[in-house]
Amino acid sequence: MENFELLPVKTRILTHRDDIIKVIESYVNGKLTDQDVICVAESVVAITQNRIVRPQQIKPGFLARTMCYFVPQKGSLSSCYGMQAAMNMEGEWRFFFAMLCGMVAKLLGKSGVFYDLAGPQAALIDDVTGTMPPYDKHIVYGPSNANQLAEELKKRLGCFGAVVADVNDLKRSLIVGASTGVDKDKVAYMLLHNPFGNASQKTPIVVIKNYLGAVEKQVG
Amino acid sequence: MIVLKVLLILVVLVTLSVWLYIKAKGDCRFEFLVEERTAFVPVEIKDNYVVFSCRVPFVNRGTQDGTLIDVHLRTLLPKEYYDKVDVDGRMHDANDPRGDHYWESVIIPYNTGGTAVLNIKLTATSGDIRADLAEMVDMPMYIVYEAVGRRPIVVYKDYLVMTQEETRVVAQG
Repeated sequence: MENFELLPVKTRILTHRDDIIKVIESYVNGKLTDQDVICVAESVVAITQNRIVRPQQIKPGFLARTMCYFVPQKGSLSSCYGMQAAMNMEGEWRFFFAMLCGMVAKLLGKSGVFYDLAGPQAALIDDVTGTMPPYDKHIVYGPSNANQLAEELKKRLGCFGAVVADVNDLKRSLIVGASTGVDKDKVAYMLLHNPFGNASQKTPIVVIKNYLGAVEKQVG
Repeated sequence: MIVLKVLLILVVLVTLSVWLYIKAKGDCRFEFLVEERTAFVPVEIKDNYVVFSCRVPFVNRGTQDGTLIDVHLRTLLPKEYYDKVDVDGRMHDANDPRGDHYWESVIIPYNTGGTAVLNIKLTATSGDIRADLAEMVDMPMYIVYEAVGRRPIVVYKDYLVMTQEETRVVAQG
């Protein structure tokens, strides 16, 4: 898949007051063809959906205060606030049993069971420092209705497809939502080197130019 | 009855183990080393104002990574004490130089630290900063910081003083 090109699009800081579709439309107008896929960073989608909370608004319970100690330090669930915020979305007891199962599975040599069982927020939530100012002091949840948003983007922009992606510099590339016809695995692979850059680069939109041609060539 | 006893013992053992595990893990523990601060030195002098700057190291002495969510400077110069200058105190992370009075949340791994830069702008009420600093007094201030690690957020205040000897040099120069 060498024939595609990644085009990061610089924007102003997007906030919870923005309509994500209108904003994207204004930035990529004239840059898209029916061969292209537009990718949007999931944290920016979540912020525009107002899926943010300040840690001071959360009261961590006993379970969150205990369970956060069993998560590696770098994770968003390692603070009792990140843990409680995710629990509020997915359910405290779901998290508790997911963690118990995860521990047992780890003892048996299987990783990732906690994240499989705890629900999508366990992996998508960003704790404080996870996004750029002024949202660096907020916990940002994963976006809602990501597939629906991708469909809407595809329809409005006339491109081949759209995805909402969670990508970082640690070679994590996860497609959170996609429009019909887009191969999530292939898009994840194309975004593996994090063309979104870091938050301060302000490029929450990436256009995969000639996506369709690249995929068809590979199939052929 | 024996089953119940065994269950009870198991619950106690698990609870104890979790408690010991959490105790052993510990948490972050931040400290601004105000005793190790550099002197306040004038970095910008105009007719009506002067900006003093000083660097204060900080460290996470705990056993867990911690986040400095917010840090700001609270200067204390009540008008009853000295009313010839107006004070604007700002600070930033030396790794993130900025003048907008904003501290971007930052994770500080345990056993590491950084440096904060304090900038104090003193504006003369009379319009002549050299004259208005001639009798300047010691000015106390707090570095106020909001930190979080594993445990709930804690707000700390560390105290330091910008001495009259440091500020009066401008009047004398």
